[in-house]
Amino acid sequence: MSSHGEPLKVAMVTGAASGIGAAVSALLSEHGWRVAGVDLRKPASDLALIADVTDRDALREAVDSISRELGPIDLLVTVAGYYEMVPVAEITAQRWWRMLEVHLGGTRNACAAVLPEMLRRNSGQIITISSELALGGGDGDAHYAAAKGAIIGFTKSLAVEVAGKGVRVNSVAPGPTDTPLLEADSPWRDPGFLGTLPLRRLVRPEEVAEAVLFLAEEGSYFCGQVISPNAGAVI
Amino acid sequence: MAMHPEGRTVALVTGAAQGIGRATALRLSADGMLVVVNDRKPSEELDRIVEECGGIPAIADVSDPHAVEEMVSRIEAEAGPVGVLVSNAAYMAMGPFLEQSEDEWWAQIRTNLCGTFHLIRSVLPGMRRLGRGKIVIVSSEWGVTGWPNATAYAASKAGLISLGKTLGRELAPEGIFVNVVAPGVTDTPQLECDARDAGIPVEEMRERYAAESPIRRIGKPEEIAATISFLASSRSDPFVGQVLQPNGGTTRCWA
Repeated sequence: MSSHGEPLKVAMVTGAASGIGAAVSALLSEHGWRVAGVDLRKPASDLALIADVTDRDALREAVDSISRELGPIDLLVTVAGYYEMVPVAEITAQRWWRMLEVHLGGTRNACAAVLPEMLRRNSGQIITISSELALGGGDGDAHYAAAKGAIIGFTKSLAVEVAGKGVRVNSVAPGPTDTPLLEADSPWRDPGFLGTLPLRRLVRPEEVAEAVLFLAEEGSYFCGQVISPNAGAVI
Repeated sequence: MAMHPEGRTVALVTGAAQGIGRATALRLSADGMLVVVNDRKPSEELDRIVEECGGIPAIADVSDPHAVEEMVSRIEAEAGPVGVLVSNAAYMAMGPFLEQSEDEWWAQIRTNLCGTFHLIRSVLPGMRRLGRGKIVIVSSEWGVTGWPNATAYAASKAGLISLGKTLGRELAPEGIFVNVVAPGVTDTPQLECDARDAGIPVEEMRERYAAESPIRRIGKPEEIAATISFLASSRSDPFVGQVLQPNGGTTRCWA
């Protein structure tokens, strides 16, 4: 129970070990949520679970143990992902598939794992993480943008499918964010590039977390929307 | 950052006597801001909201550039520069395209689009002195989707989206953030006008809109105010020229 005597809400965050996922987990905890983090390595969450989002069964098991340990899941945030820039001619079939499998497949698997209970309870919320690159595209980002764009189509469709059953689904599409996904020599860190952003700097993971928290706690009239804290990269 | 003597950010909310504006005034006051409550003319409703949010009343028709300029000067003298502007005042008159008079067309453009233009021009020097500002433009779902028999209103609201995007780009480097909220159907006195236009009781209007929405209900003014509060706070700093759409999922056009 929280200090106000209300039962604490339970959130499941994939990709919780670093970057945006870690920031989302920390901010939700700070605001009184009980957070179960899922990642390939152990996240610093109230409940830490090791699982690969491409493994459907592993995610189902993770959801079972979260429900057992913390209670039914009120909020799912799907952050798990990775980033690489590859010119389109060099995207091998394997790279292409891996990108889709982790982002789109991982998002689908996590949603499929939490939805039955949310629909049974007629209550719940899902926030997917897409990307500004899905809205604006980027040089060398074809497979990443395709995977993230697919998440947007998935989010909007799932949103209208479950909206009448008490479950809200929306997406946050961050702009270039200062996380370990951007290597030290990444072109996204180049001062020349940053100077083209209206905000003149990278987005901080904590700021993406604020957008997630806003949707989670105050976005009750948002349904199938994509909100984009992107430093003005795509307007 | 220079602020009001009491250390509170001064927030100007236009069209705040009722509906979304009223809920926004209450919300920003709860957020700790000193709220300047604008409406076109004095009214009991305005007095009530001023009292409820412990704010300052400011009368001006936003379609009148001189009235807006004078109002902002008075606010600056009394409370300090405006740090948050919520441009919400709006006018709507529905009717088939060819049956709307030229006057009706311009009245909507003047209040909704030009009103926001006048407001931003008047508060901007003060925001520059503060070195920071948040401007939230209230557009409409219809500014995104268009709507039959609402040409002037939809055009004015779409114009606001482009104004917000452009100024978002132009002003973000100075730390002045411009974003847009495009709400879907919301439970405000406007609903009574819609019901009158449709020739049905307001309760039936509410049910009809709810049935057309994926979430099976219409929005509450407080939900739109929460979005405006987010965009008015530093929590939303990486949002630049964005359009947030609390609308229950209706942009798919289910009607």
